[in-house]
Amino acid sequence: MRRLEDDPVLSDLLETSQIQRLEASLARLGLGQVSLSEEKRQGAIPVEFNLETVGWLSADCDADSLKATAELVAFILFFVAKYRLAADIHHDATEAGYAELQRKHKALQESEARYRTLSGQLQERVKEQVATIQKAQQELYESARTRSVGQLAAGIAHEINNPIGFIKSNLKVAGDYLDDLEAKLPDDRETRELLEDFRDLLSESLDGSSRIATIVADLKTFSSIDHADYTHCNINDLLKAALHLLKTSYADRRLTIDERLGELPEIPGNPARLSEAFYNVLDNAARAIPEDGRIVVKTATDNSGNIAVVIQDNGCGMAEDIQGQVFDPFFTSRPVGSGTGLGLTVARDTVRAHKGLIRLESREANGTRVTMLLPQAS
Amino acid sequence: MADFIPEENRLNLKVVFYGPALSGKTTNLMQLHSQLMPERIGELMVLETRDDRTLFFDMLPIGLKGGHGLDLRLKLYTVPGQVQHDSTRKAVLSRADGILFVADSQRNQQDNNAMAFGNLEENLEKVGLDIEAVPIVIQFNKRDMPDTVAEDELQQRWAHTPWSPLQMASALNGTGVVETFRELLDRLYTVADQEFRLARDHGIERATFVERLSARGSDATP
Repeated sequence: MRRLEDDPVLSDLLETSQIQRLEASLARLGLGQVSLSEEKRQGAIPVEFNLETVGWLSADCDADSLKATAELVAFILFFVAKYRLAADIHHDATEAGYAELQRKHKALQESEARYRTLSGQLQERVKEQVATIQKAQQELYESARTRSVGQLAAGIAHEINNPIGFIKSNLKVAGDYLDDLEAKLPDDRETRELLEDFRDLLSESLDGSSRIATIVADLKTFSSIDHADYTHCNINDLLKAALHLLKTSYADRRLTIDERLGELPEIPGNPARLSEAFYNVLDNAARAIPEDGRIVVKTATDNSGNIAVVIQDNGCGMAEDIQGQVFDPFFTSRPVGSGTGLGLTVARDTVRAHKGLIRLESREANGTRVTMLLPQAS
Repeated sequence: MADFIPEENRLNLKVVFYGPALSGKTTNLMQLHSQLMPERIGELMVLETRDDRTLFFDMLPIGLKGGHGLDLRLKLYTVPGQVQHDSTRKAVLSRADGILFVADSQRNQQDNNAMAFGNLEENLEKVGLDIEAVPIVIQFNKRDMPDTVAEDELQQRWAHTPWSPLQMASALNGTGVVETFRELLDRLYTVADQEFRLARDHGIERATFVERLSARGSDATP
């Protein structure tokens, strides 16, 4: 490509056929043999454009006519060159404009591709978020249901508390009446046996009533129907209540539970939810151990009053690959129908709500240890 | 860039008249064409105008022969000032050796001046020229118009730039045009001498360069 400021040569301005036509026209004007070329010939004079010799003109005529002819040719070439320059610059400018357009087009395409990818990623993210929200909703629904069952149980326990109270006191009074009756009845063998049997019945009933009363008290502590919100909690008491409830639930089995509860300060917390969390972890431990298995429950505190609760079993444990999922909602390693898969999820959420930490360590066939750290100020 | 062709002992230099639309770039060139009588001056070529506005460019070649036979050519170009002809402006601007910026003195044209100068900076960068290195002279034209910004104010405004002092002109009346051109030749010589050793190798001193390329009809050297 010629540059704008480059000086043109004759062949840039006129084609050979055009030069021949010009030469022929000039010849017909009576100049004889006329020749215009880039080569200098004998007797030729220069034709200038832009201070530059672009060609040499010779003809069979006198010097004056030749000079006039050279001026005429230069005049023609000036306008040819003018057109040439305009065409060149127009071409250059158009090319440059087109190149710029293509560059912008490419940039636009790249940016479109970027946005397309971004939009794809966004759609993925939205899908993920929707799934998370659905899961959370399900979880919320399940935990609300669990809680309402707990509240129902607590309500029933409260209702039982009164009748069991007067049954217990009536049975005690009945025992006193039995003593009075004994004094008034004849002292023969048959009567003595009857009274002894009667006394046994009363004392067994009293025992039973006491057990019912204990269960009711545990249920009340467990669900803490009396204080629904945050209050000062005695973690050991909550654990004991959960343990009683556990033993009652597994009345058909002998559970060996080693309680090593240390001195603990009270911490602020929601007793109902903490009890539920402890119960869920204990329930998992109870299901994991065989008949001769053992559960260890430990509590301890540090200088700042933070509390650690450790619940450990020597049961079946779990494989490493499922340990990462145990806190996921609805994850369960047990057969369908034996659990909701929410136990540890609820425990984790509760501990987190108390600004605490929960950690699960497990080795297959060796057992599982769950550590819950609850801070003094949550 | 300047083009030195050793086999022909020839040096081509390119000067571009830049500036906003209708600031008088073509008028400057026409005045130079009619006022100057250097050793060699070609035809003024005015390429297509519409309503007095340049569509492509104008060109005026001038030249001189140095003492040691150097054939020195100076081609003066104008660019189209209108915003939409930016591609043409860039094409003309590329490889410029000197720039004469023709600004409009009228008060209401100051924004256009600033925009055109910004466009010059931008295009210089695009065609690979360094605004700090290219010799540039700024002329405030149209001093004959009624509402112009005072010279003092203009000089003060530009005092701290490398392009001070500014040149004042009224191209339509032919005043200040040759003076502006001479100022540019002076600055152009500094750069060209550094690169082509005009004085040492070609026997062309600063005064020769400026005077002979801008000789007026009246004071032409014999």
